Amino acid sequence: MQVEKTPMDSLPDRFDPWPPGAQPVVPTPGYPGTFTHSPAEAPIRRPVGRGQLTGPLDLDRKLPCGEMNLAMAEPGRPAIGQLIHIAGRILDEDGRPVRGAIVELWQANAAGRYFHPNDAMRDAPLDPNFIGNGRVRTDEEGGFGFFTVKPGAYPVPTKDVWWRPPHVHFSVIGPSSLSRLVTQMFFPGDPLNPFDHIFMAVPDEAARARLLATALPPAEVGAGWLGFRHDIVLRGRAATPPC
Amino acid sequence: MLKPNAKLLPTASQTIGPFFPQTFFREGDNDLTRVSAEAAPSRRGERILLRGVVRREGGVPCVNAILEAWQADASGRFRHPKDPETALADPDFLGWGRARTDAGGAYEFHTLLPGGFTDATGARAPHVELAVMASGLMRTLFTTVFFPDFPGPNAADPVLAAVPEARRALLVAQPDGEAAGCRAFRFDLQLRGGAETPFFVE
Repeated sequence: MQVEKTPMDSLPDRFDPWPPGAQPVVPTPGYPGTFTHSPAEAPIRRPVGRGQLTGPLDLDRKLPCGEMNLAMAEPGRPAIGQLIHIAGRILDEDGRPVRGAIVELWQANAAGRYFHPNDAMRDAPLDPNFIGNGRVRTDEEGGFGFFTVKPGAYPVPTKDVWWRPPHVHFSVIGPSSLSRLVTQMFFPGDPLNPFDHIFMAVPDEAARARLLATALPPAEVGAGWLGFRHDIVLRGRAATPPC
Repeated sequence: MLKPNAKLLPTASQTIGPFFPQTFFREGDNDLTRVSAEAAPSRRGERILLRGVVRREGGVPCVNAILEAWQADASGRFRHPKDPETALADPDFLGWGRARTDAGGAYEFHTLLPGGFTDATGARAPHVELAVMASGLMRTLFTTVFFPDFPGPNAADPVLAAVPEARRALLVAQPDGEAAGCRAFRFDLQLRGGAETPFFVE
């Protein structure tokens, strides 16, 4: 069983409140759906118990992992777009690697279209060689990596003109229920970033910077693809922080 | 390089959006009693169906919302080292499942009636933890489902006690007949407005 693979001393046993400005403002200005979905009542403070500290540690049988090359689903059938590699580590708030976390990624294709029946409102083309989703499990250092193509921007069907900048969705299932994270990764320097209601919903600039991938120097990566680094920090700390 | 004891800023939540891949779902993902799609289900406990409808403001069904359930086994133990009795946990019961709502906003989980346990917060009534993600939700919502079978333990539960008394009943699932030979319980979620479901601080 995978449970033994995660040493007890690396599991979080403390959840400090979110730092001010590190979570998106809700409801979110400019994003109409948040005004009909976000609870109107303030969230209730509860004692954090075993159900929050625990969580599923051995999901790789339930959620089969391994699809990490989204750009070449089958040999000889490359997806259209700029080939990129996204690599990073899943860490906790003490900087400890989160081993065995489930990392799910999904994104639009290079034309800004998702392989999803709900994305049918405009005529951006589908790419028959690109589904755009994958799932991996982090290694002993908390590391993960995906080959994919750079997603395109796309307009959101709202009254006001709003384009989503190129972004990649991440869902991470960590060691505790409270470390569950759904987030998005953005590309550094994209001119649409400062106009995106979802990216800009996070008030703190340092917290927004954490949503941006780091472009690696091409000489470090080689000529095969462009490289991006993206570390994701889950909530949770040791009772006594390591020193 | 990161300093070993540096406190890192956690990565912000963002919405799951409307395009969470349907291809991520397999038959049985919403069945907490199986460790994999192929595994035999655990029979150590009472099989139950937990189902309901997710609605947003105005009672409109929430389509394509994602719900994840996490709970103790029928003896009140978790498959996780933070449970001191994890070695005794039911090896065939995963305790985790994922469901998505259909065009009518409905979801369902197949599971076992959880057991109660005592932890640092006190004596816990049997319950299921739920995480809710959806387009229009920028943060994951966390709530807890209790069961009508246990009025005494519910009255003593430290988490239910943290909820204003007038809203506590909203966290107790209701008997919903039988389905596939087991008892069904209904737990509807109202994300905003009306009889709004109590959600907890993340």
